[in-house]
Parts: sequence; structure tokens; C-alpha cells
Amino acid sequence: MDYSNPKIPEGINTSKEHPLKEFSLLLGGICLLMVVVFFLLAVAADFIAPQIPFSVEREVAARYIDKGMADPEPSAEAEQINHYLQQLAERIAKPLALPEGMSITVHYSEDETVNAFAVPGGHIIIFRGLLESVPDENVLAMVMAHEIAHIKHRDPIRGLGRAVVFGLAISALSMTLGNQIIDQFISSGGMLTTLHFSREQEGQADEAALAALAQLYGHIDGATELFEILHENHSKRGIEPPEFLSTHPENRRRIERIKVIAAAQGWTINGQRSALPALIQQLKTTQ
Amino acid sequence: MHINLIIFLLLLALGYGFGRYAEKQHYRSIIQREDELRGIPVIAIRFPPIMTPRPETTMVTGSVVIAEDYFKRFLFGLRTLIGGRIRSYETLVDRGRREAILRMKQQTAELGGSMVFNVKIETAGIISGRKSKIGAIEVHAYGTAIIPKEKESPRGLQQPQNS
Repeated sequence: MDYSNPKIPEGINTSKEHPLKEFSLLLGGICLLMVVVFFLLAVAADFIAPQIPFSVEREVAARYIDKGMADPEPSAEAEQINHYLQQLAERIAKPLALPEGMSITVHYSEDETVNAFAVPGGHIIIFRGLLESVPDENVLAMVMAHEIAHIKHRDPIRGLGRAVVFGLAISALSMTLGNQIIDQFISSGGMLTTLHFSREQEGQADEAALAALAQLYGHIDGATELFEILHENHSKRGIEPPEFLSTHPENRRRIERIKVIAAAQGWTINGQRSALPALIQQLKTTQ
Repeated sequence: MHINLIIFLLLLALGYGFGRYAEKQHYRSIIQREDELRGIPVIAIRFPPIMTPRPETTMVTGSVVIAEDYFKRFLFGLRTLIGGRIRSYETLVDRGRREAILRMKQQTAELGGSMVFNVKIETAGIISGRKSKIGAIEVHAYGTAIIPKEKESPRGLQQPQNS
């Protein structure tokens, strides 16, 4: 008996299809699905989170704030600065018309970071680095008004709500899949969605802050300067990341948007600036 | 986040580039060697055909380990979300199987064999249990080679003369 192995044509056990075709189809389809699912989740979280009463938010946040944020023994200088910032916040909060029962607590941190942020519970943290780089009160008021607007819009708790929902969704999925590469891919999708929502909130906070400034000072001078300072600070540290990878809209676009809003609302762009108290001006010289 | 994305894209591009190049080269070599060794049939029957004079038989084996790449892994991960043919792994297993058989045939050819019967193939996943690791497969082919005796075997005449 004669045996032979014939030549078997290629492409029976394997596919002749180009792998990039499968890749792009799969990636496109799954990305689309992810966008839909994450968007629905984010919208749901955005709707549900603000239903939590502010008093409950404050109570829960207090446990963490007291432990993590407050300096155990603030210097006399820091206490004075804190007092000034708190007063400024209360002045700005008035035109913003916070809902009943909502209160703002400002914390001064002696860190060199050029930043400020709002956290759940109505707390605002302002860093020494920022105070050193603002030229006058109007610019500082823009920061403050922006952060207070976040609290008024319940943005910190919305962000927290999204983080919880996304975290749950992603971990549930990764437990069933067990493929780390895909986990990473999906959580980046979640991140990008969160960032989109975050940028939207930033825009709204900017708008509310401008209205507060216009009411408080009669003009919005200094508002655009803040973003120029932030932009400069960014460039000093390195390149600004592309907008879709960032929590905030690009600084140049924010400046342009402010100009558009001001023109539409008929706010005066230039006006009398108010100086910072000597206490804060000193910070620049004693760094 | 920023840097993670760059690393991810880089790994994906590297995996695709090198993986695809290696696969192309490998297939070219497989097809060429299959043609060269086509004279040695590989058969699954358990008992050899009856031959006179009775041939010598010996075990021959061939094994190969092939790693997947990041691109294949990623494609696999996407696939597991919706199901279907995992095309990126089909070529991997196909290459492994054919390469293992080729190595077995190569050994047979070196021994002067004419065919291999009772051929079996086994596969094993290597580091496939750890979810972050890029895995590899081992394919092992083994069988019994038939080495026909030459008509006028000089064997009996050339006994080693020790004493």
C-alpha cells in the first residue's frame, strides 16, 4: 500500500482575512457599545447623585476632611489667610445664590501646587502656590467663584457617583473576563467618558462664576487672566495634554468662551481691580 | 492615563508589526519545508503496513513553542466579549501543529526513515493561567518512524571487531 500526504490548500484552518479588518470591526463595535453603556451609566449617576441631601453629603465628607485635609497645627499666618479666604467665599457665594442649607468651607493648604479644588461636603481647598501666582483679588475671586459654582451644581458628588458606578461596572466585567489588557482598555473608555462629563461641568462652573463676578464687581476683569496664568504654569511644567485626555477644557478655549459669554450677556470686560490684602501679597516675597 | 495610552498603543503596534512579520516568515518556511519533506508520509494508523524485510522502527518527536503577541492577545480579548472564531489564535495553533510535524519529519529524514505512523499531537498552554501575561502554546507531535532496511545490508559484515 502506498501512502502519501497531499498538499493541502492554505486558508482552511486559518482565515485569509486581514487581521486589521477584524481588529477595526471589533474595536469599533465594542467602542460604540461602551460609549452607549458608559453614557447611560453616567447620565443615571448624574441624575441620582444630586438627590442625596447636601446635609448627608457634608456629614459623610466630614469624616475624611477632618482627618485628611486640616492641618493639625496651623500657623497664625495660615489661620489669617484661611479667615480671609472664608470671608471672600461668603461674599462670592451671595450672588451665586446657594440653595438653602448649603455652606462653603474653605481650607488653605501650604502646598506649592498652583491649583484649587472643590470636594464633596462643600469644602474648597486653595493652595499656597495659587495664591502666590494670582495678581489681585479679581483673579482669586474667579477661582473661588468657579469652585463655589461646582459645589452649587453638586459636581463633586456627581463625580463621586460616576466613579462609584463606573468602578462597579468595570470590576464586575473584569471579574467575568479575567483579561487584564481588555480590563485596561475598558476602564480607559470609562475614564474618557468621565473626563467628558467633567469638562462639561467645568464649562458650566465657568459660566456661573462669571455671572457671580459680574454681579459682585460690575465687570469680569481678571477672569481670563486666571486661565492665562494656568496655561503658563502648564507650559512651564511641560506640554498640556490633548483636551480629550484632560479633566478641564483647554485653557485657550476657556478664555475664548469667556469672551463669547461676556459679549452675549453684555458684561464689561475691563474694570477697576481690587488688590489682595497685604497678608497674601507677602506670600510672594517670602517663598 | 496619558502615558498608559501611549504604552498601550506602542505595545499594540509592536505586537502587530513583529507578530505579523514573524508569522509571514514562518508560513513561508513551513510551506517550503512541507514541499521538501512531502516524500515522508505522516499517518495516523496504529500499526505499520506489512513490509519485507521487516523495517526498523523508532520513535520520532517534534515540538515547538510559539508565543502570542500583544496584538493577538488584545484581539482575543475583544473577541471574548462577543464570541465567535478567534482568528488571531487559529494561525498560532496552525503554525504550531505544522511546525511540530515538520520537526518530527526532519528527524525522520535524518534517520533515513520513509514514513511515520501512529502520529499523535498534543498541545499545552504555557503561562496561560496568569491573566496579565502574554501566553505561549507548545505543540508536540510524536510517532513511530519506519526505517527500511537496505536490500544488501552491510550490517552483518561490518561488525565491530573489538577483541
